[in-house]
Amino acid sequence: MEAVLHETETRMAPLAASGLIHAYEGRNVLTGVDLVLEPGSVLGLIGRNGAGKSTLIRAMLGLFKPLAGTATVFGEPALTLSDDAKARIAYVPQQPDALAWLSAKQMLDFIGRFYPRWDKNFAASALERWQIQPNKLLAKLSPGERQRVDLIRALASQPDLLVLDEPAAALDPVARRELLREVALRAGESGTTVLFSTHIVSDLERVASDVAFLHQGALLMRCGVDETKERYARLWLPGHISAAAPAHSLSRRHHDDGSLSLVVERDAQGRWPEATTLPGARVDALGLEDLFVEIAE
Amino acid sequence: MDASLLTIQPGASEPIYRQIVEQLRRLIAGGQLTHGELLPSVRDVAGFHAINPMTVSRAYGIAEGEGLVERLRGKGMAVIALRKTAQSESQRLALLEPQLQALARHAHELELPAASVTRRLAKLLGE
Repeated sequence: MEAVLHETETRMAPLAASGLIHAYEGRNVLTGVDLVLEPGSVLGLIGRNGAGKSTLIRAMLGLFKPLAGTATVFGEPALTLSDDAKARIAYVPQQPDALAWLSAKQMLDFIGRFYPRWDKNFAASALERWQIQPNKLLAKLSPGERQRVDLIRALASQPDLLVLDEPAAALDPVARRELLREVALRAGESGTTVLFSTHIVSDLERVASDVAFLHQGALLMRCGVDETKERYARLWLPGHISAAAPAHSLSRRHHDDGSLSLVVERDAQGRWPEATTLPGARVDALGLEDLFVEIAE
Repeated sequence: MDASLLTIQPGASEPIYRQIVEQLRRLIAGGQLTHGELLPSVRDVAGFHAINPMTVSRAYGIAEGEGLVERLRGKGMAVIALRKTAQSESQRLALLEPQLQALARHAHELELPAASVTRRLAKLLGE
């Protein structure tokens, strides 16, 4: 029964991938990734440079054919999406390069015709707020300005699924906050499903409901943001009791003075491992950034 | 109450929904929020701080469960504040417990004698 339910959810999910494997020039980029986004969820994808974030995003959207595995968007195979499904998606790559011979305003007017829910007022006001000269050719804009125009394009189409690859890089703190606000309110009120990759963990902590850590082509962890903060902690044990360390931990680091740091997890009853109660042991709560640094090293 | 009265620290190890509940608890205990005062809407809080509206709803739900606020139909969340005298000293002291425990732990790590820490604390408290 549960398996059937799970299968149905996966089939209807805005975005789902199963067993994605890919390699470039003999180097493994994705090593078997399964990932499903629930409707209305905001999933933040973090990982180091070269972890495979952009490749994963592109594979999930069907922008290339991976060596193995499948991806679906609103239940359709990502590689052969219908026009209806495409009109419900907005994707902003790290370096947009389409339609460079148009001005920002021309591009938005042109693209807008293809989207039934195009928000013309949003497009016009966002150009002004994000300081884009509407009549300058896209080819002459800086990479940051170019990505801002593309973000406006994505948001104005009022998509059901919004996919952003490192959107923060192009924005100053004020514009970034505004983007986060748009993302948060659309997810919360219109039920927009969002997938975004980022280096800026605090952005993710603000708006994301879920976080996925991608490391060397594999998902290390996928969890609710609040749950992650409550479930994991760093345990430090001084040298003379380091032998009492629990056998299971997400990361384990030996220090020169014989002491030991571990990332530990609560059990099903919400209890920390026994070693945390030893005299001299120290337990520190972890923010997502610390947690990521601990387990990705 | 204005949404800007809340402080959100996304990078803290404490989840955002708990930060909100904790602040409501304190603002109410401290009398900054009075009986019947309306909380800002979920949308206002989420919009002002650029956080997920679900997080705010979750916090409000917990505050409601704790009897800190009540849902008024068509109006939103209203503060339920007991009269100042009804909050006993021990109840108010309990609100400081997490800070006191952290302080005690730090003092212990620094191997400071209790007497000098309490002396300094008494001075800060103006005694």
